[in-house]
Amino acid sequence: MPAQLTGLFPDLIPHMALAAGGLATLGAAIFRRGAPKGLLPILAALFALVPGIWAFQSGPDASGMTRFYAGLLSAITLGTIGLLARYADERKFSGDALYGLTLWSALGMLLLAEATDWLMLLLGLELASLCLYALVAARLNDRLGAEAALKYFLPGAVALATLTFGISLIYAGSGTLDIADSLAAGGPIVTAGLALALVGIGFKLSLAPIHLWTPDTYQGAPAPVAAFLSTGSKAATAAALLHLCADASPDAMGVLSPALVAISGLSMAVGNIGALRQKSVKRLLAYSSIAQMGYIAMAALAVESGGGEAALFYLAAYALMDLGAFGAVGALSGDAADRDAITSYQGLGYDHPWLAGALAFCLLSLAGLPPTAGFIGKFLVFGAALRAGYTGLAVFGILMAVIGIFYALRLVATLYMRESVEAYPAVPAPAGPAAGLTLWAVAAGLLWLGVWPGPLMAAIAKLVGGQG
Amino acid sequence: MRDLPWLTLLIFWPLAAAVAMPLFRRSREACRSYALAAALIEAAMALLVILLFAVGRSSLPATEDVAWIPALGIRYTLTCDGLSLVFVALTAFIGVCCMLASRHDDMKRPALYYALILCSLATVQGVFLATDLFLFALFWEAQLIPVFFLIGIFGHGDRMRVAIKFFLFSAVGGLLMFLAVIALGIYAADGPTGPTFALYDLTRLHLPLATARWLFAAFVLSFAIKIPLVPVHMWLPDAHTEAPTAGSLILAGLLLKTGGYALIRFALPLFPEAAVAYAPVLTVLGLIGLFYASWVALAQEDVKRLVAYSSIGHMGLAVAAIVSGSRLALGGAVVMMVSHGLTSGGLFAQAGMIGERMGSRRFAVLGGIWNKAPRFGAAFLVCVLASAALPGLSGFVGEAMIVFGLFRVDVVTGAFAVLGMAATLIYLLRLARDTLFGPPRSDAPFADLSPRETALMAALVLAMLWIGLFPGPVLSIISAPLDIIAGQVWPAVATVTTGLGL
Repeated sequence: MPAQLTGLFPDLIPHMALAAGGLATLGAAIFRRGAPKGLLPILAALFALVPGIWAFQSGPDASGMTRFYAGLLSAITLGTIGLLARYADERKFSGDALYGLTLWSALGMLLLAEATDWLMLLLGLELASLCLYALVAARLNDRLGAEAALKYFLPGAVALATLTFGISLIYAGSGTLDIADSLAAGGPIVTAGLALALVGIGFKLSLAPIHLWTPDTYQGAPAPVAAFLSTGSKAATAAALLHLCADASPDAMGVLSPALVAISGLSMAVGNIGALRQKSVKRLLAYSSIAQMGYIAMAALAVESGGGEAALFYLAAYALMDLGAFGAVGALSGDAADRDAITSYQGLGYDHPWLAGALAFCLLSLAGLPPTAGFIGKFLVFGAALRAGYTGLAVFGILMAVIGIFYALRLVATLYMRESVEAYPAVPAPAGPAAGLTLWAVAAGLLWLGVWPGPLMAAIAKLVGGQG
Repeated sequence: MRDLPWLTLLIFWPLAAAVAMPLFRRSREACRSYALAAALIEAAMALLVILLFAVGRSSLPATEDVAWIPALGIRYTLTCDGLSLVFVALTAFIGVCCMLASRHDDMKRPALYYALILCSLATVQGVFLATDLFLFALFWEAQLIPVFFLIGIFGHGDRMRVAIKFFLFSAVGGLLMFLAVIALGIYAADGPTGPTFALYDLTRLHLPLATARWLFAAFVLSFAIKIPLVPVHMWLPDAHTEAPTAGSLILAGLLLKTGGYALIRFALPLFPEAAVAYAPVLTVLGLIGLFYASWVALAQEDVKRLVAYSSIGHMGLAVAAIVSGSRLALGGAVVMMVSHGLTSGGLFAQAGMIGERMGSRRFAVLGGIWNKAPRFGAAFLVCVLASAALPGLSGFVGEAMIVFGLFRVDVVTGAFAVLGMAATLIYLLRLARDTLFGPPRSDAPFADLSPRETALMAALVLAMLWIGLFPGPVLSIISAPLDIIAGQVWPAVATVTTGLGL
């Protein structure tokens, strides 16, 4: 099987595909000015598909984490391109840069997720983020988007500085840039550096109390970009967090785990309670993603007790749900601005049964209700937390999850239990077949993972087991 | 003979029927006929399963077991013993009643309306049949979703708020139970069987005492909210009042029963020690509910609200009986829950009919219906009397068994139970008096039962009569599983009273 793929660097195929894909979309735009509209997204999608194929085809010698993330990020990128294509076209900001940046950002995420070296981690994180800053502001004449990009960029730069300083401390304390070796070395300087590094990573994950950029940025970003931002970068950064928690020396964990407990609990509380008061759907989803990252942090705490597998499953489920939720928001939006006010969703369930149905299904999954992937994900994450002995945090998390159910239901109820209002026309800009297909693939994936989670869980267990 | 997976079909047939429902959305009549046909097929399957068991009794309990999530020891395990079978049959029967009772609520989106009812039937059947705890927790959460939409889309008044309130109350309990289920699975993983969620394996766990009590509390909280036990009953009156007729039927006839059933099936055998330790608390709460509900019911001005409070009272008595430690009372509780499903189903259906005819269900516009609509009045009176436990009707069998059982265990409890039942009589008689008899307080005409409504009420009344006059089959079919459960929870009691099981 690996025979057909053995080139010089079989393990680098996904990276090279993403990098070359970015170049190719830019090149295609340069050399073929009058190219048909569909060319760029299709070209980008073809390149985005490669890591996914590689993930299923590559031999057992490839790192498990890389294979998992190659598959996941390939799916996320494909989904984003599907959601973005007609959306950007209708709103006149589609272009070579849009798809090129998407692919390069995905490359950064992949590097970040599989990094075993601090520099690679930093490089991946920054590559992903820099492209995302530009993507958030991709709609040139949209002031909200520019403001969102700025609000993401400025604190992001501070977070980068913190992370860099943390890494330099770790390097100073341990003398190595290899993540596992440096953390195993232990010592107060390394622990302090790790704490600073976690601040930087926590910022990208929007863990409370450094989550404040999230709602503004998600609200201002074009909905498909918000989908990409909230799924891809979160998933990849969570991998780094898991990596750190798994490799940290026992005495470092002794210092960090109480802090992580507090951060995780706080994120669940801030995210879920904050979402209650929102009148904007995108802000609501942003707060919900803060809460979801609290669950991921809880799983990261329990990484020794199966939390790693649980977190990876949850991340896959979460990626689908947020891709679907933000994607549906984009598909339901008019062309002036995204459909954002919750009241403007009244009765949409009947006007657009398929798009709104996908949104409702993603919301039910975010709330953790059966038969969706969110239910199984919660089961795994809370199972890991209980096994690791974090009973109090788990009970707290479950109570917060009830609040999560409340706001998800409120939005679902708005879709189906209110009459549509004249002031909010139900006519969205055409979403296109790709977006519809993506949304339905996402919903089907959520249902499939909710009813038949066994294969993915077995695959994850094999990958993680193969690595360690 | 049993080649087909009947239990799986019982769960998934309504779901499949619901999926096909949009095909009929153009015509309301087609929706109604199709939904009724689907419910009748479900009932026929339940009947067939009963017949299959009746022919070869040895095959009880039947099991369908497939590996589902092997890494965690989660299996798709359905088990049908006599106890499940009774409730499965009740579910199928109430399902048919729902289809017959809905005429005014299905106006706006008939396909969606009937699809939600069918989904609800599917999830409730799942709760009654699942014996893998994970599967059970999944169905337990899932059963809220169709009812949420049913109340929220087709209800009356401030229906969205009521639907969310109903959902949140149930979800709090459900998620804490979910956590307890996970904890049980983790304890089992350390044990000899390895990771498993099978009810039978988990009952043999030796949990630390304190842990078992916490887990029991989480389970019971979830069930108590569904039952509903005072003081976590607040969602019920609102939900019942604003729900469409079929929603009320499903709530009272099925969802409340899942709470009582789960208490018997899961909470007692999993944590026998905690169950015995906390029995006094639950008994007191149940009896308080009985008195409290009677007291509040008396003050209600709306027929449906009064019936809703009567549910709290009756189910409170059932809880007191379930934890009493008397095998006789336990059997009585099951019969009573079935009977309550029928009587409250009948009362809610007729309250719906009153609402359809008068535009209001307030006592202020009722009275004198007996003279205006004799068939309606007769059916209503039978339901009231069955609910009041008149001998010969279904309520009597259950309540008599409960009272005898409670007196054998504890005279004071028994005495309070009898007093509480007397209190229910007051508001039930008031219900009959203010609707059926006395001077009519409104000149509006009141049409008598249509043929469809006659069929619905006749089916319910016949079922009440059957349970009231010939409870034997029901009692014998539930006796074996209840003996096993009682043997696990109260070993001493079971050996003494098994002979009195009937």
